[in-house]
Amino acid sequence: MSLVAEAFMNQLAAAEPWPENAALYQQLKEDQILLSDNAASLAVQAFLQMCNLPVRVVCRANAEYMSPSGKVPFIHVGNQVVSELGPIVQFVKAKGHSLSDGLDEVQKAEMKAYMELVNNMLLTAELYLQWCDDVTVEEITHPRYGSPYPWPLNRILSYQKQWEIRRKMKAIGWAGKSLEQVLEDVDQCCQALSQRLGTQPYFFNKQPTELDALVFGHLFTILTTQLITDELSEKVKNYGNLTAFCRRIEQQYFEGHDKDGSAAASARSAKRSESDPDLNKIWSQIFTPECFCLAACQMPSSCKCVTHLGVQLVELMR
Amino acid sequence: GHGGGSRGREAYAKFSGAPLTVNTINNSWSTPKADVPVLISEDTVISQPAKILNFLRKQRYNADYELSAKQGADTLAYIALLEEKLLPALLHTFWVEAENYCSVTKPWFASRIPFPLSLYLPGKMSREALNRILLTRGGPPLYSLTEVEAQIYRDAKECLNLLSKRLGTSQFFFGNTPTTLDAFVFGFLAPVYKVCFPRVQLQEHLKQLTNLCRFCDDILTCYFKLTITDG
Repeated sequence: MSLVAEAFMNQLAAAEPWPENAALYQQLKEDQILLSDNAASLAVQAFLQMCNLPVRVVCRANAEYMSPSGKVPFIHVGNQVVSELGPIVQFVKAKGHSLSDGLDEVQKAEMKAYMELVNNMLLTAELYLQWCDDVTVEEITHPRYGSPYPWPLNRILSYQKQWEIRRKMKAIGWAGKSLEQVLEDVDQCCQALSQRLGTQPYFFNKQPTELDALVFGHLFTILTTQLITDELSEKVKNYGNLTAFCRRIEQQYFEGHDKDGSAAASARSAKRSESDPDLNKIWSQIFTPECFCLAACQMPSSCKCVTHLGVQLVELMR
Repeated sequence: GHGGGSRGREAYAKFSGAPLTVNTINNSWSTPKADVPVLISEDTVISQPAKILNFLRKQRYNADYELSAKQGADTLAYIALLEEKLLPALLHTFWVEAENYCSVTKPWFASRIPFPLSLYLPGKMSREALNRILLTRGGPPLYSLTEVEAQIYRDAKECLNLLSKRLGTSQFFFGNTPTTLDAFVFGFLAPVYKVCFPRVQLQEHLKQLTNLCRFCDDILTCYFKLTITDG
């Protein structure tokens, strides 16, 4: 956006208070949305929750096309539409809400640097996995991305998107990377985030900032999304303070909300098992501390925590 | 490749005392991304800055022994910031801005690689630079090259401001001894600072940030015996 347009938008934004009917748009939660988009949407939701600004999540198949920048999520506030976390943070700041005002200049620089780290490494790795790893593309991405549309539109749209992403990967030098190298990059990124977080509750000690929202969005989505293998989520699970961080934010900002705003909007694998769980098998499975899925999670059959055991049991008994 | 990468690697090698000879590459056809120069050590060829730094570390030439875990993490974050926010404008200044490219970059680059590569490679790198900028930063709501250019220079200036704030009055980014981050930052800043381009908006902005200029001058005089006057 040009400087003039940005200044104009800020003026407009400042004029009105946050309305009750603000809406956040993303793709369809159960069947369509992909890992990277889910992470981005969750980051914005977390940010708005941290600012105490109510927003309802609206799922539309054509969210990507409605967005002014072509990327999800976008928010519709009053009569303005803003997409992506960066501009949304600016927009919210123009309305007088900010999470990073208390930081000094050096801390602000650090916060921006870490946000770029997440975009540079984590987001790119997610895109790589979704669009450049052939197995994942065939089994998860293509079926999900075009799912709202009839054949042949669904195939055309997803091939078009794949071509676009692969061009971008080639331009930044990621096309030649192997999956192992990408996972190693994810590990390096998680190690850096883990070291920076240390034993603090949030990245800048007591108060969450947009960095916390962004990291939460990506890590929580990685941890709770079922892909072909668990390699990606295993990389994150290696760092205990990161998993504790995700749980803390989820408990503080998402628990007790209705299903639409809940953080348990995980992308379901297209290969969810259809078999009925054996009652004995359920009870012999142990509680896993790493599970963050609420009862609203869509994949109870693959999750071993007590909440799901309870849900599966209830379903069995119906 | 673009000045940022190679200067950064030279600076790192000088900081940590690793013996370094700059070899002009004669067979760029075989380098994967025309990313010269490369580091060659006993038949291992490595060409990306981060990999070269990893390689030097493994060979036990390490400028980062004194860094804490948090500072190591900060290094990674700031390098990501440089790549996302400063690199596009740098690529543009060197390889896309027509006057700069024709009068400075192309002749300089072509003079350092053998014929007939010199006929083909500079143009290829220019096209790749533009391609990279458009693919990573283009797209709605920016619809024309002019809008993209305006945005990337704005981001680059903001990035320089952030670096200046982070450096403050210290000699180096992590105290009194240089580290990997200093090498990377120097690698990005030195070409902008020193190369005499016809179109210099980034250089003018950098010159207002006196602590960054002092940072570059310190490194140039201490670790590079000669003052570099061209790329």
